[in-house]
Amino acid sequence: MRRAAAVAAALALALAAAPAAAVTQRTSLVAIEQQVMCVTCGIPLQEADSVAAQQEKAYIQRLVSDGDSASEIRARLVAQYGVAVLALPPDRGFNVAFYLVPIAAVLLALAIVALLLPRWRRNRSASSAAGDASLSASDSARLDADLARFDD
Amino acid sequence: MRRKLVPAIVVAAAAAAVAVLVYGLTQQGTSRALDEALAAGRRPAAPQTTRLMPALDRVGRAQASLAHWRGKVVVLNFWASWCSTCTAESALIEHAERQLAASGDGTVVGIDYKDLSSDAQQFIGAHSLSYPNLRDIDGSFAAAYGTDALPETFVLNRLLEVIAISRGEITQQSWLTHWIDAAARA
Repeated sequence: MRRAAAVAAALALALAAAPAAAVTQRTSLVAIEQQVMCVTCGIPLQEADSVAAQQEKAYIQRLVSDGDSASEIRARLVAQYGVAVLALPPDRGFNVAFYLVPIAAVLLALAIVALLLPRWRRNRSASSAAGDASLSASDSARLDADLARFDD
Repeated sequence: MRRKLVPAIVVAAAAAAVAVLVYGLTQQGTSRALDEALAAGRRPAAPQTTRLMPALDRVGRAQASLAHWRGKVVVLNFWASWCSTCTAESALIEHAERQLAASGDGTVVGIDYKDLSSDAQQFIGAHSLSYPNLRDIDGSFAAAYGTDALPETFVLNRLLEVIAISRGEITQQSWLTHWIDAAARA
């Protein structure tokens, strides 16, 4: 009897949670606007107000109202407008450069620093050593005399 | 060896980055090669004539390319349902289609640009357009014609060579009639 009640309670909880999960998967016009471009103006849709942008927004709102998820809406937008509608292009073909070039630039910068830093340090220590060696005999004698005076 | 290799790699990487940048910039620019060729007295071949595009209606197949109409005069009209001047121009374009259909010389081919297919279908119905229309989904076909604003119209002869360009709304039926006649004779 107690087990049956527990199962019933678990079932009731699961049934209650299902619509909640469905609700959390739903998206909004504002969320999608941040992920797509105005196809005719080349700026993020959330900043666009052209007639074509209004058409895109109305279409997204219709899909949101129909209960489509964010990924479904993005796929429908690509089918209508091509991949250029996505703010972040898919990582295929030439678009891979969009992701690789910044990484390559950072790696290149780090490599340059790693190469130049030891050389810069070497040059600095060499110049300071050269600075010591450049004391003339009279300056060296005067330095020794000054140091000896401090020792006294 | 190492002393030369590292600068070489750095220079190569920098050159690659510049090449990517230049490629990106050239892809964004609007080409006026067709206009320049016409101005120089040439008849440039229409770009991308074999490229298949989804058909909206009246083509009898799911996809078609301009090559489908080779041997006919083609009035290529770029439009979109969200373009108000396309609405204003549509009656003149439809009149040109009836003129071409009556003479048997050719057809208007509409290219719906960066548009929703459902809105495009509505536009066709609302303006009673009787000519075939294809969808240039991402605008890359239009880009090959240097089109980045709507409407734009290109008159092609039977060899699918460009003989006239209207960048902007056509306001005079006489412009279409003149160039359709010229294309039929060419």
